[in-house]
Amino acid sequence: MSDSLFIEIGSCQEHKASESCFGDAILSKKLPEEQRIISVLSDGLGSGVKANILSSMTTRMAMKFVESDLDLVRSAEVMMQALPVCQIRKISYATFSIIDATLEGKTRVYEMDNPQCFVVRDFQQYHPAHHEISSENWKDRVINVYQFVAKEEDRIIIMSDGVTQAGLGNPKYPLGWQRDGVWKLIENQVRRHPHISAKDLAEAIVKEALTKEKDGKAGDDISCVVVYYRRPRKLLLLSGPPFDEEKDHEIAEMIDYYDGKTAICGGTTANIIERELCLKCEMDKTTFDPNIPMASIMPGIDLVTEGILTLTEVYRMLKEGIDEDKDNAATRLAKLLLDSDKIDFVIGTKINEAHQDPNLPMELDIRRNIVKKIFRILQSKFLKEITVKYV
Amino acid sequence: MEKIQVKICAGTACFVMGAPQIQALEFSAPEDLADKIEVTEVRCMNHCSQGKGYNKGPFVEVNGEVIEEATMEKVVAKIRDLIAKEEEEKC
Repeated sequence: MSDSLFIEIGSCQEHKASESCFGDAILSKKLPEEQRIISVLSDGLGSGVKANILSSMTTRMAMKFVESDLDLVRSAEVMMQALPVCQIRKISYATFSIIDATLEGKTRVYEMDNPQCFVVRDFQQYHPAHHEISSENWKDRVINVYQFVAKEEDRIIIMSDGVTQAGLGNPKYPLGWQRDGVWKLIENQVRRHPHISAKDLAEAIVKEALTKEKDGKAGDDISCVVVYYRRPRKLLLLSGPPFDEEKDHEIAEMIDYYDGKTAICGGTTANIIERELCLKCEMDKTTFDPNIPMASIMPGIDLVTEGILTLTEVYRMLKEGIDEDKDNAATRLAKLLLDSDKIDFVIGTKINEAHQDPNLPMELDIRRNIVKKIFRILQSKFLKEITVKYV
Repeated sequence: MEKIQVKICAGTACFVMGAPQIQALEFSAPEDLADKIEVTEVRCMNHCSQGKGYNKGPFVEVNGEVIEEATMEKVVAKIRDLIAKEEEEKC
């Protein structure tokens, strides 16, 4: 995308304690060709499956309309007409908050009946200019539109009313947590951790909302999305020897001059870098795990691991979740990948004959295949910006 | 007496052939050997690709002598062998 700003999206949700599924829905999408990010949060009428259907339909429709740049009032009308009518309340209804942001900073937030968004700038609330629009047919439904140019380190926070009304019914919070209460927590968090990630801030908000609830059980669906504009955290991941040995020096220079974090996955690759850059590499015994080869320590390189077994395990964790209780080479690599926004893969295509021996007790994948799986999941599930170069 | 150098290959092929079981030598060596050996994990020493066969791993070097299809027992036996030899020479 761009070297300038990066937009990080983080979200957190908790469903109503008495239900088994979320009544709120969140959908985020990157449009790389337009350098644009859209995030939608919707709160469906009621809770449970019925609310989930309403909110999921709303997020999908809103995403489609916003990314196609259709007229908002017309889009909102279509959405309201398309939603199924509640048998009990005889209305069709789901709220929404939409953040439509570009990497240049041009940002729009649309809100209908969700709590007002927070825009955080320099640790304070920033109140962008906004106007209201409503449709002829639905006069009681007002859409708030905020439009402003975001700056580096700005944050936008949208949420469902489960956040601002957390604690309602609890004698300690007769009116719920309320907007001022939520702001106090946000302010406290950003002052204490000025670079807190979008995901961590969203989690902190939802976690704190839960503490307001009676017995810590959510009385409504609680959802929060944080959008954070910041400089991208870059990572270069080098794995595999180049097909042509003459390129050894080229990849070594690539890692030497890279302006971000660097990781090497593969013993032979580490040997090449060690030789070309005259570095000394030692095993890092703190990463001992009987199932994953140990990581190594090489000066100037953030992480050095074995190749195929570690990458295979990283892929498994990206799919199923990171094993938080372990500290091995694979968990470190997975965390490094998730902590980065822009990841440049440089993949050597030389086949390691050793791995193709049918007498080995387990099947080892070809590097190129496993790396493909990893970068696809990083792109689709974690919205990372990826480049891949085969050497 | 100089410590006996035990190098365990930590390459992928050796790892899947059972090198982690030998790495335990570092943390839980037999009591009489613990202070006589120095265990290091090293990246692929290329024994596999230099004719010995990929499935002959894991490879372990004990004072430079290569052990194929190494197991904890084989490595410990080799270390005891070397210690015995050195003691014989002393006598």
